[in-house]
Amino acid sequence: MRPIGFSTGAVAKGDFRRALEVMAPFRLPAVELSALRLHELPRLVEASEELNLAGYKYVSVHAPSHFAPADEEQVVSWLTELAALGWFVVLHPDVIFRDELWLEFGDRLLIENSDKRKPTGRTADEMKLLFERLPGARFCFDVGHARQVDPTMNEAYLILQCCGPRLCQVHISEVNFFSRHDPLSSGAIEATRRIAHLVPEHVPVIVETLIDKGQSTIEAELHRAVDALRPTLPIAV
Amino acid sequence: MARDEMTSESDLDWTLLLDKPVDPADLPTTQRIASKIYAAKFAEPGKTNIFGTMTFSHSLVHDIGGPDDTNANTTRRILLLLESYAPAGREAYDRVRRHILHRYVEDDYGLSFGSGQKVVPRFLLNDLSRYWRSVTVDFVQKQRADAGGKWALRNAKLRMSRKLIFAAGLLVCFECHLDPDAESARLDLRDPRGGTARLIQYLEQRFSVPPLEILARSVRRHARPETARLLFDNYDAFLSLMDNHEQRAVLKSLEPGQARTSEVFVQVREISHGFQEGLTRLFFRDNPEIYSLTEFYGVF
Repeated sequence: MRPIGFSTGAVAKGDFRRALEVMAPFRLPAVELSALRLHELPRLVEASEELNLAGYKYVSVHAPSHFAPADEEQVVSWLTELAALGWFVVLHPDVIFRDELWLEFGDRLLIENSDKRKPTGRTADEMKLLFERLPGARFCFDVGHARQVDPTMNEAYLILQCCGPRLCQVHISEVNFFSRHDPLSSGAIEATRRIAHLVPEHVPVIVETLIDKGQSTIEAELHRAVDALRPTLPIAV
Repeated sequence: MARDEMTSESDLDWTLLLDKPVDPADLPTTQRIASKIYAAKFAEPGKTNIFGTMTFSHSLVHDIGGPDDTNANTTRRILLLLESYAPAGREAYDRVRRHILHRYVEDDYGLSFGSGQKVVPRFLLNDLSRYWRSVTVDFVQKQRADAGGKWALRNAKLRMSRKLIFAAGLLVCFECHLDPDAESARLDLRDPRGGTARLIQYLEQRFSVPPLEILARSVRRHARPETARLLFDNYDAFLSLMDNHEQRAVLKSLEPGQARTSEVFVQVREISHGFQEGLTRLFFRDNPEIYSLTEFYGVF
C-alpha cells in the first residue's frame, strides 16, 4: 500500500495547525508541512517540536518557493533545524543561489522538478545538471509540474528515467494553465498512469490539490491520487 | 523560413499557431501580424488559405486521418514538423510538435506491439507519403485552376524543394531503425517498462534541423560521395536559380507549351534530373539497408 498524504498548504493555506487537525481523522501515513511563503517558515520552526506528528511515518517540509539571495543563509538555518527532526526538505531549484549552503542537507534535501514558469528544473537535462551540483540530494517528482511542461508525459518519463534512483517523494495534483494546483481531472489521472510504473510502491505521495476553499475533499483527492498511480504498463512486445 | 533556404525572391508562408483557450481577440491579433508582414513587403500567401491565418493545435493533433483531416490540415501539420520556424516564443510551438509526434508514435501499434524487428514509424511515414502525393496531385489541380499560371515555377519547386521535404521525412523514419543514436529508443520500445518517450524525443531532435541537414546527415552515413555531389550540387544550383530575379520571372510567366524551348526551364529540368538521380542512388543503390527499407516501406 503506497504511503499517501496531503500538503498542509493544500488543506489550509498558511495554517499548518488547522490543516493537521483536518487531516487527523484520516490517519494518513505521510504529510508535507508547507512553508511556501517565507514568513511561514520561522512559525513552523517555532512550532515544530510541539506538533503532534507521531502518527506519520513520513514527514517533509516544503521550503519557501521565493526568497532573496540575501535570505538564503537564514532559510537554510531554519530548514536545518527541521531536518534535524528527521524531516525531508523539499526545495524548488530556482531558489538555490549558493550550492555550498545546501550540501550539508545531504540526502535529506529533495529537489523538485519545476513548472513552466521557472528557469530551471523543468526537463530531464535540467534536472541532471542540478544533481551534478548537489550530488547527495534526492528527488521530489511533481507530476503536475511535469505534465504542465509536457502534457504528453514524455518529459515526465525522461525525468523519472534519469532521476528515478534518487526518488524520495511524489507531489500529485493537476497544475493548470495558470500554474495553480487543481483537483485531478480524468485527463490528469490518465496521463499519470502512463508513468506510474516508474514510481516504486514505497515512495510516499503527497497530494497538493487545493481544497482549502472546498474545491474538493480529502477523500475524493486521495481516491483520485491512488487511481492515478495505478500503473498501466506501456507496451509489451 | 523556407527550410533555411530563403532567397531574395522567397515569399513568406506564416500562421499564428494557437494552443490555448479560445479567445475572440485571436483574430485581430492575426490581422495585426498580417499587416506587419505585408508592410515588410512580403508577398501574401497563396489563394488556398492554408497560411496567412490562424491554426489551432486541436486539429493538427486530433485530426490525423479521417474526414476532418483536410488537405490544409495535413499540409500545416507536415510543414510544422519539417520546415517551420518559430520566430518568437517556442513554448506552444514545441508543445504542439511534441503532441503531434506523440500521436504518430503512440498510435502506431506496429511500433509497440508488432513482431517485426524494424523500428520504422509507419503511421508517420504514411502521412508523409500521403502529403507528398497530395502535393503532386494538387500541382495538377492548381495548373487547372490557374489555367497554367505559375506552372513552371510550381513545377520547379515540386521537382526540388517539395521532393526534398518528402525525402527528408522518409529518411528520418528510416533512421529510427538505422541510427545508433536511436538505439536507446529502440530498446525502450521492446522493454515492458519502457515506452515511446525516447523515440518521440529522437524524432523531435531529428525534425529540429532543416530538411537539407537531415539529408546531409543520412548521405554522410549511407551514400557514396558521388551521390552527395549529385544531390547538393544540384540543389545549390536550384537555389541559385530561384534567387535570380530574371530567371525566376521567366519561370513565373512561362506557359507549359513553352517549357521545352525555354533555356531556364531546360536548366531546371537538368538540375532536377541530377537531384532525382541522387535520390535514386541514395534510396536504391548505395546502401543495402536503405534499399531494404525503401523496398519494404516505400511502396506499400
